[in-house]
Amino acid sequence: MSLIEIKDLKVHYPIRSGFWNRITDSVRAVDGVSFNIEAGETYGLVGESGSGKSTTGKSVVGLEKVTSGSIMYKGLDITKAENRRKLDYNHDVQMIFQDSLSSLNPRKRIEDIIAEPLRNFEHLSKDDEKLRVLQLLNIVGLDADALYKYPHQFSGGQRQRIGVARAVATNPKLIIADEPVSALDLSVQAQVLNFMKKIQREFGISYLFISHDLGVVRHMCNNIAIMNRGRLVEIGTRDDIYNHPLHIYTKRLLAAIPETDVNSREAHRASRLAVEQVYQDQQSKYYDDNGAAYPLVQVTPTHAVALPQTIAQQLASQEGEVQA
Amino acid sequence: MAENFEQHSDISAADLARLTQEAQAEATPSTAKIIWSEFKADKPAMAALIIIVGFILFVMIGALFINTPKMMETNIMGYFNQPFTADFWLGADSAGRSVAKQLIVGSRNSIGIAIGLTVISSTFGICWGLISGYFNGYIDWGMQRIYDFMMMLPMTMMIIVLVTIIPHYNSVTLTFIFSIFYWEGTSRLIRSRTLAESEKDYVAASKASGTSHWKIIFREIMPNISSLIIVDCTLSFAENIGVETGLSYLGFGLPSQTPSLGTMIANANDPNNITQYWWTWLPAALEIIILCLSISYVGQVLRRAADSSQRQGSVN
Ligand SMILES: Nc1ncnc2c1ncn2[C@@H]1O[C@H](COP(=O)(O)OP(=O)(O)O)[C@@H](O)[C@H]1O
Ligand SMILES: [Mg+2]
Repeated sequence: MSLIEIKDLKVHYPIRSGFWNRITDSVRAVDGVSFNIEAGETYGLVGESGSGKSTTGKSVVGLEKVTSGSIMYKGLDITKAENRRKLDYNHDVQMIFQDSLSSLNPRKRIEDIIAEPLRNFEHLSKDDEKLRVLQLLNIVGLDADALYKYPHQFSGGQRQRIGVARAVATNPKLIIADEPVSALDLSVQAQVLNFMKKIQREFGISYLFISHDLGVVRHMCNNIAIMNRGRLVEIGTRDDIYNHPLHIYTKRLLAAIPETDVNSREAHRASRLAVEQVYQDQQSKYYDDNGAAYPLVQVTPTHAVALPQTIAQQLASQEGEVQA
Repeated sequence: MAENFEQHSDISAADLARLTQEAQAEATPSTAKIIWSEFKADKPAMAALIIIVGFILFVMIGALFINTPKMMETNIMGYFNQPFTADFWLGADSAGRSVAKQLIVGSRNSIGIAIGLTVISSTFGICWGLISGYFNGYIDWGMQRIYDFMMMLPMTMMIIVLVTIIPHYNSVTLTFIFSIFYWEGTSRLIRSRTLAESEKDYVAASKASGTSHWKIIFREIMPNISSLIIVDCTLSFAENIGVETGLSYLGFGLPSQTPSLGTMIANANDPNNITQYWWTWLPAALEIIILCLSISYVGQVLRRAADSSQRQGSVN
């Protein structure tokens, strides 16, 4: 059984307007998303900004009011608040936020920030709690000096480490990492990703790793879901997504990864423009009449794409020929 | 599970005392310390603070030694006695009552009402605004309709009506009557900041850490709007001194046998008093001006300290 099973998750935000302030329409931030996260793995959720990744992530942590669908954990549907309470759900599922500054309360000392989940879930003695906080700081590579300081006294990378320490404090089973390194410098990004991986190995944590950048996800994730306009357009293993992409949206995200090799820059640019051209020309083939993605169809046991069956088969066989 | 942390970190219980001490040496000073050093760096603010605290203590204690009913008795011999004499430091009014004594008791009454009013109405307004802004939904909707209704009522008129129909009232009743009408401004202000603050990720992080709504509202969000609260409270306090004074001046505040800054300033209603018997009203007027200026100056310093980014004094 998977650690978490998300089934047909929908989150719609009502749009109110008119004299009576009645609900006239809705933003379909998440519109029918299903995937499973296995224990100990890193699952990638990738899509451009506004595609509904954060909303999905927050729903999994229990921060979002879900419109319909279910998220199963230990046999209970945690979209219901009483089930979350019964399971002490957030003891096991924690979150790392994109904006490290706004996710740390500016008026609280680091000790109180990291100890917050401990105080709510573990009720340790004062000394044990302080010891745990010091150990956590040590694990994320910060000095004990940090204990009585405030968040604004740290750099972005250090703050994100504090955010990770808080998320790890209760030794959870799953951490939702919502673009944890997007706001950081490239050099700091690598550091943070590396110790997130180290922590994963040592504590056996699963990650739901959210990113808008397939380049970052490549080094982190075993399985990846591509999200577009509130729906999943492609699911597969790392190999499926990077080497056999089928949906034009995936190809476009792949083409958007910055090329570091100066010599092939020109070729990269050409291929990016070609993909963009196809994306503009073949909208009707890849999306239905309303501009929404099709339901997913399975092309191999691990690989699914949101296309009509026939087109999916055709593309898959083309892809196969190229590979052969 | 604790073993898990022991295993992957090289810190153990033995290091606890040493590391705590190291961290304490590096600790950021507490807010109280920052505020104090802010006052030390700003001499006029210090002077203002001393004036306010000193004056309030003086009238509170001084009033205890004055027998008010006796003081308010008419004394023909003292009719408009000149100020700066042995019996009447600040002169006497048309009934021969000591202005200095009236000023002390009157200040005690007026400031007491202002403090009470500020404490009650600000506490209520802050809670109302925080809860309304945080829960933003049906709760917010309902609370805002009540707010709208209260805003619709003509405040001064309602107070005058209430004061007229209530047969016996004193400064405590009056404080409560005022409080009914003076929480709205604060609540709107606090609500709008709370709405913005609730959207921030640290609130989401607290929810995800299992913290209860009430703790999030009062322990997480409230400290973050403390500078707004401080400024609003000091301004309300300065304003509230004026509320009682204004109504007493109009004759709808405290009963006439109870002296207050308002009843003393009302002496200026008589044209004779304005020019000839200036000592009957000028001390009270000066007192209000000095108090209000000092309060708003202190408020500014408090705000600066609360916004630690705007810190002026060095912290050491
Ligand atoms: N509280 C909200 N109310 C209304 N619309 C929202 C709200 N939160 C998010 N949205 C909308 O939902 C969509 C998905 O947002 P989000 O999940 O943050 O995307 P991502 O994280 O992929 O950038 C966006 O179009 C956004 O404008
Ligand atoms: Mg996002």
